[in-house]
Amino acid sequence: MAHETHHGEAGEHSEQTHIEMPAPTFWPMVFAFGVALLLAGIVTHWAVSATGFVIAVCAAFGWWHDVIPHERHEEQPIEPALRPEPILVETRSVVRLQLGEGGHRRRIPEKIHPYSAGFWGGLAGGTAMAGLACLYGLIAEHSIWYPINLLAAMVIPDLGQASIEQLRAFNGLAFVAAFIGHGVISVLVGVVYAVMLPMFPKYAPFWAGILMPLFWSGLVATTLDIVNPAMNARISWPWFVACQLGFGLVGGFVIARSTSISTMQAWSLAERAFLEAPPRDEK
Amino acid sequence: MASIDYPLERPRPKEGEFSFSETLYRWVATVDHKRLGLMYIVTALLFLVIAGLMASVMRLQLAFPNNHVVGPETFNRLFTMHGTTMVFLVGMPFVAGLSNYLVPLMIGARDMAFPRLNAFGYWIFLFGGLLLYFSYIGGGGLSGHGSAPDVGWFAYAPLTSKAFSRGASTDFWILGILVAGIGSVASALNVIVTTICMRCPGMTLTRMPMFVWVMLIDSWLIIIALPPLTAAQVMLLIDRFLGGNFFNTQAGGSAVLWQHFFWIFGHPEVYILIFPAFAILSEVIPIFSRKPLFGRAAMVGAVVAIGFISLGVWAHHMFAVGMTSWSNTFFAASSMLVGIPTGIKIFNWTATMYGGKLRLDTPMLFCCAFLLQFLVAGLTGIMLAVSPFDWQLHDSYFVVGHFHFTLIGGLVFGLFAGMYYWFPKATGKLLCEKLGRWNFWLFVIGFETTFIPMHFLGILGMPRRIYTYAPDRGWDFWNLVSSLGVIAQAAAIALFIWNVIDSIRSGEKAGDDPWDGWTLEWATSSPPPEYNFEKLPVVRSSRPLWDLKHPHDPDWKFEQ
Repeated sequence: MAHETHHGEAGEHSEQTHIEMPAPTFWPMVFAFGVALLLAGIVTHWAVSATGFVIAVCAAFGWWHDVIPHERHEEQPIEPALRPEPILVETRSVVRLQLGEGGHRRRIPEKIHPYSAGFWGGLAGGTAMAGLACLYGLIAEHSIWYPINLLAAMVIPDLGQASIEQLRAFNGLAFVAAFIGHGVISVLVGVVYAVMLPMFPKYAPFWAGILMPLFWSGLVATTLDIVNPAMNARISWPWFVACQLGFGLVGGFVIARSTSISTMQAWSLAERAFLEAPPRDEK
Repeated sequence: MASIDYPLERPRPKEGEFSFSETLYRWVATVDHKRLGLMYIVTALLFLVIAGLMASVMRLQLAFPNNHVVGPETFNRLFTMHGTTMVFLVGMPFVAGLSNYLVPLMIGARDMAFPRLNAFGYWIFLFGGLLLYFSYIGGGGLSGHGSAPDVGWFAYAPLTSKAFSRGASTDFWILGILVAGIGSVASALNVIVTTICMRCPGMTLTRMPMFVWVMLIDSWLIIIALPPLTAAQVMLLIDRFLGGNFFNTQAGGSAVLWQHFFWIFGHPEVYILIFPAFAILSEVIPIFSRKPLFGRAAMVGAVVAIGFISLGVWAHHMFAVGMTSWSNTFFAASSMLVGIPTGIKIFNWTATMYGGKLRLDTPMLFCCAFLLQFLVAGLTGIMLAVSPFDWQLHDSYFVVGHFHFTLIGGLVFGLFAGMYYWFPKATGKLLCEKLGRWNFWLFVIGFETTFIPMHFLGILGMPRRIYTYAPDRGWDFWNLVSSLGVIAQAAAIALFIWNVIDSIRSGEKAGDDPWDGWTLEWATSSPPPEYNFEKLPVVRSSRPLWDLKHPHDPDWKFEQ
């Protein structure tokens, strides 16, 4: 290993022969002693406090005299014998691992979809899902209101005991409940998609369009008996899965087409904290 | 700085040529941050020995059932003075001493911002400590009752009222701590101003050494946490001397109010004490792993988060008082929250070591032990943060074991790491490595033997602060084991003191940079001259000395 020596900035010699340093003074000690006596008098004798007071006042004047009108300084001579040893320089260089190279984990996601993309994606996916559900109603029960009433049964208990004819008929309250419930959930799921999609290392469309709807279907299949027993008794699982896939594919497509925005992950700490940020043209 | 109107040039004798009076003057009148730092540390070590002797007597008393080495009154005074000394006269001056010595060197400054205030801080702390210990002589007061304080380091009301604490011992406790606290606040203020205003050119906040970051947050905590204690102490003085009723429940006061005031100070105080150990580890582990600190930004964030959260967890010390269930739930949740940033720190220190080229010298050995012991302390802390669990073990030896794992297994082990690491800088001599290893292993064995059994004793139902116990409780064996551990700990401390004395006298010369360090204190001579740096350094990265040693691949090329 090759070595050479040099003096860094910290060990560089100055042209000066002296350096100003604050002059020593015993007044802070005397003042501290006075204050301690002043308080000790509370538990001993008033004379102790009085003595402490006098000492503290004298010390305060002495201290002020040290700093007013100008601080007292002492010229410390620079002693060559006290100079630091030369710094040992290592000529061998160190290979630095860059972000993302050699298995070094990149901080992700560097770019994300805006929340608005999730909102619009959720609405589009929800519309596609509703369309497929209504198609199922038309084909299976000859009524687009059938799936809407089934969905509303989650929050309107009476619909749980409704007959097939009642489920096929239009129900205003059920329509409003289903519309709001479906809309809100669709938007929320859309936003979750927008947040999650950039986190997948690859195959995001596959995850969003296929696997996530399948996972969601599985979760619903295991819990529907508790959440909506009426729907659970009448549901057609192939159509349900098809509706979920419809949401995933359409919603995922809309979100994926949005313009991504940069996160602060690639920024330095100073830039993220808005402290001492060097100018960065690329931002 | 203002201009010099009347420079004082005194002929400067060579080292060793000073007369006794000159030497005394140099120390008593000094405003040099390094001398004051060393004075703080040496004073803290003296108090550590005194508090350790008190603990030894307590363990001797508890080694066997129905033992009568000391009576109950003396035992009460021993645990009161032991706790008070360890917290206020050992932990706090170590904080001040370390930050005094190292912060200006690390940020490339010549001194602290307020050198005279710095000197005042040390002396007022010392006089506060002496005032507390003067209680052994004057604590009897006019009525002749009591000597040293016997109300515990927490001094709960109504124990501190005149009815239960006659004489002046409690007053000495109040005043001693109050006076010493002035020194802590003065020192903390100095550290904050020095760090913010006196960094050398190029040392931005992001390039500041981790040690300085932690001490900066620590100083803020001191400034925030100490005033509630001082306020409560003044209220207690009013109760005792002027007939006030702040804490007198029979006259509309509240004893619980004291607990709130005390723990609003007391819990952040735990972090005030442990932060210097965090600071030391953040410097020692990277140097002895030959890797930069892992997740530096996260480490800064974690220490800020710990500081912030620690201000909102105080009432977990009061689960058994009878607060509302909502209060208990809040303080249980907030206490567990501290585990997150603390976990980040433990993970990051471990990640710094992972894959590094480890050098297991004495400072690093103490750091490794810290990591394991502090982890155990953290886990038992989380257990005690669960209020139903706390109800079962409150005021038991489990709690004693927990906080000794935190403050001895954490703080004292960290301080040992720091003393072995920076001793060469302060004295120019290396501590003997062989004695250091003996010191380490004896201390580890003694520590584990003393404090692990305390957890078992707590689970077996042994309450804190009892001076003896009956032989049929099943506590005999673990108490004996716990007391035996003290022998190894005492031997370890004695070895350390011998090592220090012997190394100063005839130790191996250390050179300026014995550990191949990266921060600025290693760029100046050992010991540093009074002006620290002949020419103030200019830094361009968080490892300025690395940059100088590796001009071909300096950090500033890579740091964002």
